[in-house]
Amino acid sequence: MQTGDLRAILLLVQWDLMRMWRRRIFVLMRITWFAVQVSIFGLALTAMVRFRGIISAQLDYYHFYLLGVYTSMLFSISVSNAYEVAEEFEEGIIEYHLTLPIKRRVLSLGRAVGGGLAAFIFTLPMYAIVLILLGGGPPEAIAVSLAASAVFSVGTVGLVLSVVLSVKSGDATDILFGIIDAVIVRLSTIFYPAVVLSRVAPYYYAALVNPLSHLVDLARTFFFFEEYRVLAIASPVTMAAYLLGLAAGLVSLAIYIVERKLEGGGWR
Amino acid sequence: MNGELRSSLLIAYRDLVRFWKFKHWLASQIVMNLADVVIFALIFNNIVNREYIPDYIKFMSTGVLSVSVFASSFSIGREVGAEMRREVVYYLLTLPASRWALIAGRIMGGTFRGLIYQLAFIALNIALVGVPNLYQAAIIAYTSIVLSASMSALAIAISTSTRDFNLQATFRALTYYTLFFLSNVFYPREVLRLRFPGPLADAIAHTPVSLASDVYRWAFGYYSSINPLAIFELTLWAILLLVLAALLYRRNISR
Repeated sequence: MQTGDLRAILLLVQWDLMRMWRRRIFVLMRITWFAVQVSIFGLALTAMVRFRGIISAQLDYYHFYLLGVYTSMLFSISVSNAYEVAEEFEEGIIEYHLTLPIKRRVLSLGRAVGGGLAAFIFTLPMYAIVLILLGGGPPEAIAVSLAASAVFSVGTVGLVLSVVLSVKSGDATDILFGIIDAVIVRLSTIFYPAVVLSRVAPYYYAALVNPLSHLVDLARTFFFFEEYRVLAIASPVTMAAYLLGLAAGLVSLAIYIVERKLEGGGWR
Repeated sequence: MNGELRSSLLIAYRDLVRFWKFKHWLASQIVMNLADVVIFALIFNNIVNREYIPDYIKFMSTGVLSVSVFASSFSIGREVGAEMRREVVYYLLTLPASRWALIAGRIMGGTFRGLIYQLAFIALNIALVGVPNLYQAAIIAYTSIVLSASMSALAIAISTSTRDFNLQATFRALTYYTLFFLSNVFYPREVLRLRFPGPLADAIAHTPVSLASDVYRWAFGYYSSINPLAIFELTLWAILLLVLAALLYRRNISR
């Protein structure tokens, strides 16, 4: 990669960050929604849950839930890039981007990294709320969960770019990501540990390959240490490797689609 | 007056015909609602405290009836939102119909959509929870009409308040979460009382979605009794939401 390419990536990252900065009302609304979720839904769920000996470890469901809901929010915000990209091609901005003196692979890499970082930075106030409600956490847990979240977000935006630029329709994007969001969040360990899911085998196996499960269980393992190690879907190294590999794969897919499959104006 | 009504019915009919245009979007909503029962409730059934909720699957499937009306009624909001963005609204305003006829027609269209969409979930509840008698079936029908009309009106007002696609989706989601988290869809009043001050838990039980969920739970036989004023309160909510939403929609299309 040449210096010019790096400068282009930086410009694209800056473009995505500025775009997010212009959406302050959107950010505030998502934070409000998050606050409602952790203060009403989370507390009520915690009052309802009783593990009845399913889990031997002393696990506070509210703490378990907090990291889960942060993960689902990060996923949802990363996916919201799909609506942005869909709007961009409705307005012809994608065509403008394709005319820029930037290599297509650099364009897709820059958008994936920029969109991912913007979504990640956007969720930092929510992460801070979670941290306060958890009563803090070990520095290594904070560092690992933040790094894993950034990688996950970049990978998710890579997936979003691939899907949106393949289906080329705002409506199809809305529908597809509605389904993905509904199913992938529920078929993960966001609301319940894998050991509870194991009572329904297909759900359990789906959760094992679900990247949301890997991200949230990695964070929980580092925050709750030994208590959670026995409940996590895999070892910390495996989960970290899975997230890294998936992000690299999804960004590569976005590069492939933008380089080989995207035609300017094809969606009109 | 007859002409106004005819215009409204024509607009509602147009919206109903266009309903099938959104079959894929509706399919995604069905997936979401079904996922709540088939995945979330099934798994949660193993970890909820049976003292408060003896059968979480039955509890959730009746709650999902309210969610399903909301999801489908909101399809009209999504559509009028797109009309604002694409400026189709100016064409609608040139039609030989008054603005109030247009507003009433859109709300009626959304109501019909909600009712049609809900049929599959009514069948699901008959299979999972119980069969209502004639009186209960009439109460279910009335509750669905009132809830569907209020939610359609609310969706239209919210979706037309901005032309930004992303903000429209966010407003929609924020309304969804606020209405459903502050309701008895996912947890009963007894659970809310464990965590929140009594007056707040009681207030949540009087929101339109909570009232509708409790009526459905009683009508399908999951609850043995119901607040006798529930239907009256739900009607009051509907009148309030319909008036407010109609005024907002009128203001939004006139800007």
